[in-house]
Amino acid sequence: MEAFSGFVTDLGAAAALPFVIFLFAVLIRQPAGDALRSAVKVGIGFIGINLVVGVLFTYVGPASEALAGRFDVDLTVIDVGWPSTAAIAFGAQVGAFAIPVGLLVNVLLVAVGLTKTLNIDLWNYWHIAFTGALVAIVADSFAAGLVTAGIHMAILLALADWSAPLIQRYYGYEGISLPHGTSVPYVLFAIPMNWLFERIPGLKSAKADPESIRRRFGVFGEATVLGVILGVIIGALAFGFDDPRADSIAILQLAINLGAVMLLLPRMVAVLMEALIPISEAAQRMVKKRFPNREIYIGLDSAIAIGAPAVIATSLLLVPITLLLAVVLPGNRVLPLVDLATIPFIVAMMVPIFRGNILRSVVGGTFVMGLGLYIATAMSGVMTEAADRVGFDAAQSGAEGISSLVDGGNPLSWLIVQAGRAEWIGLGLLAAFALLLLLWVKGNGRRFVERMAEDVEPMQVA
Amino acid sequence: MKRVLVVCGTGIATSTLVADKVRKHLESVGIDARVEQATVMDLHRGASGFDLVVATAQVTQDVGVPVVKGLAFLTGMGVDEALAEIEGHLRD
Repeated sequence: MEAFSGFVTDLGAAAALPFVIFLFAVLIRQPAGDALRSAVKVGIGFIGINLVVGVLFTYVGPASEALAGRFDVDLTVIDVGWPSTAAIAFGAQVGAFAIPVGLLVNVLLVAVGLTKTLNIDLWNYWHIAFTGALVAIVADSFAAGLVTAGIHMAILLALADWSAPLIQRYYGYEGISLPHGTSVPYVLFAIPMNWLFERIPGLKSAKADPESIRRRFGVFGEATVLGVILGVIIGALAFGFDDPRADSIAILQLAINLGAVMLLLPRMVAVLMEALIPISEAAQRMVKKRFPNREIYIGLDSAIAIGAPAVIATSLLLVPITLLLAVVLPGNRVLPLVDLATIPFIVAMMVPIFRGNILRSVVGGTFVMGLGLYIATAMSGVMTEAADRVGFDAAQSGAEGISSLVDGGNPLSWLIVQAGRAEWIGLGLLAAFALLLLLWVKGNGRRFVERMAEDVEPMQVA
Repeated sequence: MKRVLVVCGTGIATSTLVADKVRKHLESVGIDARVEQATVMDLHRGASGFDLVVATAQVTQDVGVPVVKGLAFLTGMGVDEALAEIEGHLRD
């Protein structure tokens, strides 16, 4: 057994994961040819992500080291973004098993009436695979990792049920909830914050026009342009201009390579995703067949909530704010990069709670981004270890570690990993918390948000 | 040849799924089309050069071409209607 696990580790995720995917695909009755195609593509996606992360390290590593040398800032933990985080999650030993575990927990909770949400967005099971993988490391137990993934799913379902009335009313979607690991934990912050903001005169009525913000800051939304601009700014600060020839080469190379990473990293994840589409659809059909007559919410990716003008405007403003926070917050070591483009997912479910008010959303967003930087700093050790185990070699550059703002900086993921550090006692407490949350959401919690939803104006569509 | 732009929040996650289905459908009904992906943030300058936008995210501004909602592809309900709508726009 030990020899086998050692073999799998040395094989690396890119070569080992295809076997797991092939097995799954055959189990849910995919034709062998399609299963093989999916399996190979997953491996290819992995290799692609690893290559692009290599580019990121090669150029950003030395820059962050130079930055630390010239100024009194230590931003040597690189934000590798959600694409790499998802790959680390699915590539870990717990990884692919999180899908059947998550589905099983979901089906059981729907069957006993503890949740209304059926999460058919299988791709986003990577969020529970991620905490599962990290807990498997900190608790040094594969079983603890699987249990963690299951509990994480239960908490996401509870939060999705809870926020559903607000989300449905604001975005105008019937019968849908968003059990999305990146977005849904932030409703826990937004609801008390909104209560507070209602009591602060300046924040209550202030208005900002999302369209004019989009016109002025729209460029921050284009990932490649953002990458190039960041590269020029970081490069100029890191290398200075003492030697015009050498420094301009270093700055321009950093800029174009960062632009390339912003475009290519998500593209590589697309290869991984395409491979999982047929498997995901077959599993969806199997699960949906089980609950034909029950009133359920279909749990989807919060991508469907991105694009509201207030969400885009808030995210655009949070890009420079997050960069500034990274520099001024004492103790932060994360250099925000790839996930600056993913900020919309962090605020997508907060904005409806703030009733589309941009000033409140930016203030609330600034708070969670600042908190997220500290969490991402704290999580970088275990995340770097997880990356190392799936064969992403972070140690080859000047970077001291990796992290990400999405999930790496997520308060719920952090809480779950902390519970995992206390091993089975911590996980027992976490499971009790998940159960209490599910029960509360069914009763008092539900009435609370329904009252809140009455005040929410549906999003304006031009 | 027609050009279709599928947009979502990341330009990857849900748009890959929708683009896959749209591409297969158009191929099966014999419409010569190129299906590309982008993020909803990329639309701030409009969708010039494309004949149609399919969006899983909300598109609230005028992008100059018809926008078809892609939600059906994610929930699995109303997929045929959505595909018919897409086909209708491209056959005009």
